[in-house]
Amino acid sequence: MPLIPTASATTGPFFPPRYVDTGCNDLTRFEGRAARGAPVEISGRVLQEDGSPLENLIVEIWQADAGGVFRHPADPRMNEADPDFFGWGRTTTGPDGMYRFRSVLPGARPPRARHVNLQLMFSGLMRMLPTVMYFEGEPGNDADPVLAAVPAARRALLVARREGAERYRFDIRLRGEGETPFFDL
Amino acid sequence: MAANPSDMRQPGYVAGAVDEPTQPLRVVPGYKETAWRNPAQPLVRRPLTLSELSGPLEPARRLSLLGGDIAGHGERRAIGQLMHLRLRVLDEDGSPVSGALVEIWHANAAGRYIHPNDDDHAPVDRNFYGAARLLTDERGALALRTIKPGAYPVPNSGGWWRPPHIHFSLFGKIWLSRLVTQMYFPDNPLNAQDRILNAPPSAEARARLIARMLPPSEGPADALVFEHQIVLRGRKATPAQP
Repeated sequence: MPLIPTASATTGPFFPPRYVDTGCNDLTRFEGRAARGAPVEISGRVLQEDGSPLENLIVEIWQADAGGVFRHPADPRMNEADPDFFGWGRTTTGPDGMYRFRSVLPGARPPRARHVNLQLMFSGLMRMLPTVMYFEGEPGNDADPVLAAVPAARRALLVARREGAERYRFDIRLRGEGETPFFDL
Repeated sequence: MAANPSDMRQPGYVAGAVDEPTQPLRVVPGYKETAWRNPAQPLVRRPLTLSELSGPLEPARRLSLLGGDIAGHGERRAIGQLMHLRLRVLDEDGSPVSGALVEIWHANAAGRYIHPNDDDHAPVDRNFYGAARLLTDERGALALRTIKPGAYPVPNSGGWWRPPHIHFSLFGKIWLSRLVTQMYFPDNPLNAQDRILNAPPSAEARARLIARMLPPSEGPADALVFEHQIVLRGRKATPAQP
């Protein structure tokens, strides 16, 4: 008889600032060494139902390295993983609701297109809100099975806008007009 | 579009569907922020791939550990009832999750957090910051020495008080194991009123959020001892038959 996972709860409004370690939003470096691949900046604004920005919301990301490999034993190609790429980061939004990560462009791993997993935590979120960000202009987006699970009319909301050679913008609307698609798990 | 099965390979851990009544309602009556911040559109069920069934490995190489003795000593001892917490972290198979990074934070004995947003009038305790970050051992266990947190009122909530509780943020073996939860204390009269503790519809799921107090004779002379168990999503995959 399997055990039932513990009920989740909100972080509340008092997640310790100390938990957002310096440099945690910069995935281009790990233990002082530079990761392989093309650097990218990913940023965006997090808004609630009335359109107001949320400050202090926690954003975590998890992604493959530039070669599309996950530094994790589930990946049969783990031994090819970039030892200087940790793949995970955390930041919190500022007073304007903006979050910002520096990372490297994740490699595609067909059928998965290049993508970044996001997890949002905040006061009022009894469960974390998971979503996935894709990159504008990637031919692989159309074949990605996770993006394909999203109703067609809402898929574009998961594709980050390219704002320059190394910059992508991914705004997140928790509820209301232009609501970002979120996943149940 | 169907994915190529050879690329949806069987990893070490899998995760099943959520048993809804065992998880909290997303929009909770009387907790107004939940209605502003949770999606109105249906949540999307996605196929699980390597991306969700992997996750950060060796998290302590990125997040600095913070000691598990946060009550202080001697003249710098935090005010409040000294307590030891023995936590165990298991997966859905009941196997211990070793090397899980656990963040633990809570209010001081007067119900005040060290946080710029906590403008409650309860006093700050200069000897209590209230945050630890620890790894579980081979048995999935960790120990914390702290003081029992106080209750506090939720501003502009019509008389809602949070019962004493401890927050946990945990990293398991895979991305889908990530969990944030709260633990409560047995027999506190505020538990029955708490809008967060009572958000899961299943009474059994709620009961499992409440720690167990050990008989004081089993603990150190100067502290109460509580035990608590947290189950992370994910179980070991059954290897596919050839």
